[in-house]
Amino acid sequence: MNRFSTLGLYAASLGGALLIVAGLVTASGYSAWDTLVALYQGSLQGGASIGLTIDEAAPLLLVAVGSIICTQAGIFNIGQEGQLAVGAMTGAAIALYCPGPGPAVLILALLGAAAGGAAWAGIAGLLYYWRRVDVVICSLLLVFVAMQLLSFAVNRSYLLQENAVPGQVMIPESDLLPLNERLPRLGSYPGLNVGTGVFVALALTALVALALRYGRWGFRLRMLGLNPIAARRAGVRAALLGTGAVVLSGAFAGLAGGVMLTGSSYRIQDGFADNVGWEGLLVALMARNRPVLAVPVALFFGALRAGGGFLASTGVPRYLVSIVTALLVLAAVFPVAFQEARRFQRGRATARAAALEGVAS
Amino acid sequence: MRSSSTAGAAADSAVAPAVEMQGITKGFGRVVACDRVELSVGRGEIHGLLGQNGAGKSTLMKILLGLVMPDAGRILVNGNPTAITDPLIAAKAGIAMVHQHFSLVPALRVWENVTLGERGRVDREQARRLVREVGERYGLEVDPDTKVADLSTGQRQRVEIIKCLRRDPALLILDEPTSMLTLAESRELFTVLRRAVQDEDKTIILISHKLDEIVHATDRVTIMRGGAVVARRETAQTDVRELAREMVGRELSKWTAATAVGTMDALVTPAAASSSSEGEVRLRITDAHANAPDGRPLLRGLSLEVRAGEILGLAGVEGNGQTAVGDLLSSLLELDRGSVEVCGGAVSAGRPGAMHAAGVGVVPEDRHVSGCVLDMSVAENLVLADLGQVSGRGFVSPRRLRAHAERLIGEFDIAVPSPDTPMRLLSGGNQQKVVLARELAAQPKVLVVAQPTRGLDVGAIEYLTERVYRAAENGIAVLLISTELEEILTLAHRVAVIHRGAVIGEMSRADVDVERLGLMMGGQAA
Repeated sequence: MNRFSTLGLYAASLGGALLIVAGLVTASGYSAWDTLVALYQGSLQGGASIGLTIDEAAPLLLVAVGSIICTQAGIFNIGQEGQLAVGAMTGAAIALYCPGPGPAVLILALLGAAAGGAAWAGIAGLLYYWRRVDVVICSLLLVFVAMQLLSFAVNRSYLLQENAVPGQVMIPESDLLPLNERLPRLGSYPGLNVGTGVFVALALTALVALALRYGRWGFRLRMLGLNPIAARRAGVRAALLGTGAVVLSGAFAGLAGGVMLTGSSYRIQDGFADNVGWEGLLVALMARNRPVLAVPVALFFGALRAGGGFLASTGVPRYLVSIVTALLVLAAVFPVAFQEARRFQRGRATARAAALEGVAS
Repeated sequence: MRSSSTAGAAADSAVAPAVEMQGITKGFGRVVACDRVELSVGRGEIHGLLGQNGAGKSTLMKILLGLVMPDAGRILVNGNPTAITDPLIAAKAGIAMVHQHFSLVPALRVWENVTLGERGRVDREQARRLVREVGERYGLEVDPDTKVADLSTGQRQRVEIIKCLRRDPALLILDEPTSMLTLAESRELFTVLRRAVQDEDKTIILISHKLDEIVHATDRVTIMRGGAVVARRETAQTDVRELAREMVGRELSKWTAATAVGTMDALVTPAAASSSSEGEVRLRITDAHANAPDGRPLLRGLSLEVRAGEILGLAGVEGNGQTAVGDLLSSLLELDRGSVEVCGGAVSAGRPGAMHAAGVGVVPEDRHVSGCVLDMSVAENLVLADLGQVSGRGFVSPRRLRAHAERLIGEFDIAVPSPDTPMRLLSGGNQQKVVLARELAAQPKVLVVAQPTRGLDVGAIEYLTERVYRAAENGIAVLLISTELEEILTLAHRVAVIHRGAVIGEMSRADVDVERLGLMMGGQAA
């Protein structure tokens, strides 16, 4: 009964979003049907599209799993967008400047990306346990600092900006990574082909799911998140474990940046993060903080990103594509939020009854 | 307005009771909270409503206040059928309730608290006059300009009662009013109630699970058990023993009866000469000083010793540092000065898990805050601090976790459908058993039990009392922190009195004199 109404809610929400999409697209002078078909073609039709969906899903999954770790400890790190950018920057710097055999540099770059994200998140974690600075605010504000940092780095030739050929207009982006420092791809175009990043993401998801469910670390993390006082009595050192969770979530975001860098874009540029950090948070939210559930949700979001990209290439203006995908994301998140709001309202109603009781007495 | 309504009602008051509840039935899911309850409260009487926790008293009163809708039955106020579908209707019908937990804002002054929830302009002078007036009429004197934070618990309750009385209700309901009061304060309260009934023509329903109170303060009593009324008595024609039997449904052993149903008479002479042999000192707190984060002093030079095999009862009025002692021994409080030694070794206060590691088991006063994690399973709650027992190499073994849980559930007789049941779904008594089972399973050197029976039913109280007693017999040093004197007198070998963050006196159980103990709890070192 309850499951049925949840499904109904999802159907109604998606239906509503599609109606609005159709209305908007038609009003802008494009065919609603063609738009939907393009979305489908770009994400699910044929091996290449499916591969693209999977490639888009991998970093989303990594970000989501990291945020799940943090949420389990009762802390909300929402700065993944910035941690991802810093991670990718670190990875790019290593890949471009570190000498050595390709695969070794690749691994080093990925580890460096994770470390970069971790360090960026660590600022928020440290400030929280040292000076009680709110993690939500701090991690959020650090996103904007990270954006500026990235912009700075890709605009300075002594940092990450590409090596100029004389006379060339300088673009704020780095050189391409050498071929042997990229994540290998399985399969080949136009058949199904995917980057190996998704396997990294899946393996880590499985590991985190296991550790949270059965690990002593996961047990303590949950204890800390659900009742920090009982956890302290039981010997959980909140500063260590909590900061650790924040740092780890940053590492996952950083690694997501590393996977994007070495798996698909092969270079870093302004606006590199491209909302993957934010959307990863939505994935975690929709998966209700369950790592395994985050896999299909990440695929859904990945499909939207891939479909949106294809839609843009059919001539539909970019802003309209953004609105269309945003509406579909909204449709996917809405039921969760709606149910949460209803629960909150019910709580309010109870509180109101209690208040009335106070007036009566 | 008031006089006209009284006059109007006076005509039928001779025949009609102030409130009559007929055939009230209310179920929550499969649980029947009230089963065809009949309650008749005569005008101008103090009517006791007696029953264990979960007997349906609160639900019945919530129905009367319009907070809960009954499934069946009707309510007559002064003989007129009244549909109380809303708290405002109850208020209009002149029904008001003083709740067990105060709803005062500590940072505000008394008169501000009394006017809280009022609509329209705040008239400060009038509000202060009102507080004084009501106070004089009922003998509830309290300064309207004092901040509630500076009042004692007894005074706070006065404010709570004034809040009710200022609306001049005809029927006043008091829910467990003495649970936070000293002996003297309780007596004062009952004097006030008697005065309200005699001089002001009020009717009062007194909800309680303490027999002494019912016997001393009421005119008639209705006893509920398992959602139904099992007996009605004229108070003058009954005694504590009969009431206890009706309330519990069986005879109670003398020493558990004391804690469970709040009779002290049996306790004034010590039970057995149970003075323990001099065991070694297991817990020693020396000159402990600590402050709350806001600078308020919590402990001011508290010292105490507990020996192996003895139960030290730490008596005192709520809010004198008992919570801080519990927190200190749960590693939740850091000391500014002083030390804690367990079995002769110093333990660093406030370091997470240090007390537990040193062998201090704690059944905390509020188990939801530090005793358990409500959203984890019973099995998980049974191992919180001792993960090592059920895990190896970083991973918890679900098999061993379950086996461990099943063993303790059996051993401690915890009623739970499965070890995987979330802690939240357990009754208070069973949650308390889980906490106790976990702490005892860790084989502590020292066991601290704080307000162990608060909010529990008789069965659970009996159980816990016996377990704590047995723990001491097995050589554990037990520190029993309680505001219920009955509980302390039942169990303790030695009694220490805590007042304003320090122990101000100690006596062995054999030398206890209740009057003197009462004075000490009030702060007079005697």
